[in-house]
Amino acid sequence: MLQKTARGLLVLLFIVLEWTRPGLPSPLRPICDLRVLNHFIKEARDTEVAMNSCREGCSLSESVTVPETKVDFDVWEKKNSLEQVQEVQSGLWLLQQAFGLLQSSVTNSELHSHIENSIRNLLSINVVMRSLNIQEYTPPASAAELEGTWMVSSAAELLQVHVNFLRGKVRLLLLDAQACQQDVS
Amino acid sequence: MTCEHLRRVLLLCVAICAVRAASVAGLDRKVSLLLEKEPTNPKCFAQSLTDFTCFWEDDEERTGSVDQYTFTYSYQNENSSRCRLRAEPAGGRRLFLCHLNRTKMFVQMFVHISRDGKPVYNRSLLIDQLFLLDPPANVTVSSAGQRCQLHARWLPPPIKYMDDSLMYQVSYAAAGGGAEQVETVLASTELRLRGLQPGTTYGVRVRVKLDGITYGGFWSAWSEPVLTETLPAEPNPLIISLTLIISLILIVLSLSVFLSHRRFLQKKIWPTIPTPDNKFHGLFSVHGGDFKEWLRQSSGGLWLTPAFCYSEECPFPLEVLSELSVCPTLPSPKASRASDGREQDCGAAEDWGAAPRDRLMNRLRALHQHEPSPQSSLLESKDAYVTLCSGQHPAEKALTLEVLLAPRKAALSECHSDLGSVPQSSGSGRLSSQSSFEYPTHSWMPKGPGYIYMAGADSGVSMDYSPMSRADDTGKVVLYANDYKNDMPAFSRPVLTRQNSIHDDG
Repeated sequence: MLQKTARGLLVLLFIVLEWTRPGLPSPLRPICDLRVLNHFIKEARDTEVAMNSCREGCSLSESVTVPETKVDFDVWEKKNSLEQVQEVQSGLWLLQQAFGLLQSSVTNSELHSHIENSIRNLLSINVVMRSLNIQEYTPPASAAELEGTWMVSSAAELLQVHVNFLRGKVRLLLLDAQACQQDVS
Repeated sequence: MTCEHLRRVLLLCVAICAVRAASVAGLDRKVSLLLEKEPTNPKCFAQSLTDFTCFWEDDEERTGSVDQYTFTYSYQNENSSRCRLRAEPAGGRRLFLCHLNRTKMFVQMFVHISRDGKPVYNRSLLIDQLFLLDPPANVTVSSAGQRCQLHARWLPPPIKYMDDSLMYQVSYAAAGGGAEQVETVLASTELRLRGLQPGTTYGVRVRVKLDGITYGGFWSAWSEPVLTETLPAEPNPLIISLTLIISLILIVLSLSVFLSHRRFLQKKIWPTIPTPDNKFHGLFSVHGGDFKEWLRQSSGGLWLTPAFCYSEECPFPLEVLSELSVCPTLPSPKASRASDGREQDCGAAEDWGAAPRDRLMNRLRALHQHEPSPQSSLLESKDAYVTLCSGQHPAEKALTLEVLLAPRKAALSECHSDLGSVPQSSGSGRLSSQSSFEYPTHSWMPKGPGYIYMAGADSGVSMDYSPMSRADDTGKVVLYANDYKNDMPAFSRPVLTRQNSIHDDG
């Protein structure tokens, strides 16, 4: 009787393990097609347009720290890949924090949906970067520790920074990703 | 060494000048393009990732020097900077330009222009949205083996990070005034133009612009048009087969018509030149045309050639110039015409022997002097007067035959046709005794040298020389027939001359 009970538990254990499959995650295939990022850029512009037409319930409750978006190509090309990755990942983290605050500040329903979409897109960009073998970012304890940042006080400025950051630095990083260069060759 | 060095420097200067000239020309074209398209002042454009130009036109009313203007710019969250201006003439007006060799993108740029401290223009812009590139280079168009299609290829602008952000427009139109068509292609440097007319020359040109997602700007100028002809249309196999069949039918019909009328055409195109060679065997081939030699070498006596017997041949008649006993019974028109003469001859038969030659010549002259009447026989007009001229006995082989033809014409050739055309003798004409001969009798003998007269009587041989003789014509009066009765003296025997009917061999 005891043996029968043990066998039954083992079978149940195997079934549960097979169902959950707690093995190591398979590596993601590199996402090198920039049309994905173009889609995110278009939706960010749509959010900016929606913000420009918003009259009420579409303001930031407090100033937020955002990354710098300007790109001097001579300077950018002189940076190594780690610096570029660090700059992009830190900027994405700052934007996620800022959009979190914006989401809680905005009461306009239409703008609220756009903001939620933008947050999902920022998370998707992280997945794309992970697919390109870019290690995950370890955020700092405080945003003040980061360089190349500045403060914005309006939702419009935040959304403009969001668009410019995606079009500039994020795109340059994905365009020059080593995983995509190896895939092309 | 110094000359070589100077030559290199000179070449370098020329190259630099050429490049600058090209860039100035390109800049002028872009400035002209923006003057038409951009309403905002200052008008700004970026030619590359680092090159940026802003300009404006000076008003004619407010003409001032370049020093009166101040161009300042600043990026977001940065301090402002000043740009050094320069003036350029432009069609009677002046342009003030600010050129920057280093720029920052994906950030707002603020431009401020003032004149004598007073603001003139203010503008906030994004440099990454103001690209104005050069037109695509090396545009090549080919048929690529496809009818009604052209394959256009070109090189992208030499600018980094923008390959997937470029969009192109391809304009094509038939040379000679066809409607222009434009097609847009994204992030690709080739396009296949379909639906074109075969065997037609098309002019193709390309221009480029950024798609506006990451980068934006203006349409560039059109590239130089490239003319290419499409492949000709493939011939319809049905039409080809029908054409071949019809051509074959026409050829067969032409050949059949030609073959059926071959002789007629041959006579018309290449008429056979008649030669007497077949009548005078050996005359030309053996004796080289020497008739005397031919006569000398011919067999003894006179013999009749087979050609004489042919009905279509027309022997020339031998007029009886003098007759003896048969003279009054001659019914022929020739005889009746010459009846007077003949009566005279008959009456003077006794005198014939006296001067037969002289009589003969006189007779000939008399006949020549008389104009033939229209009703007279055609045969009279073409009578051949035969005189035999020889100093020897006619029995001898060496016999010379001299033929005195009528002066009118060589009627020998028309004998055949005349025989056929005379209405009284349509169809047939029985000519008899045209070849009558006069036999020399003992009553008269030629005297003197020259002529041997041969008298012959009708031997009763009547020969039908008409090719159209018919049995029903026997009852008609034959005008030309000389029906001599056969009362030839027993001693006489025909001395046949060798008569060769010279007829038109046509």
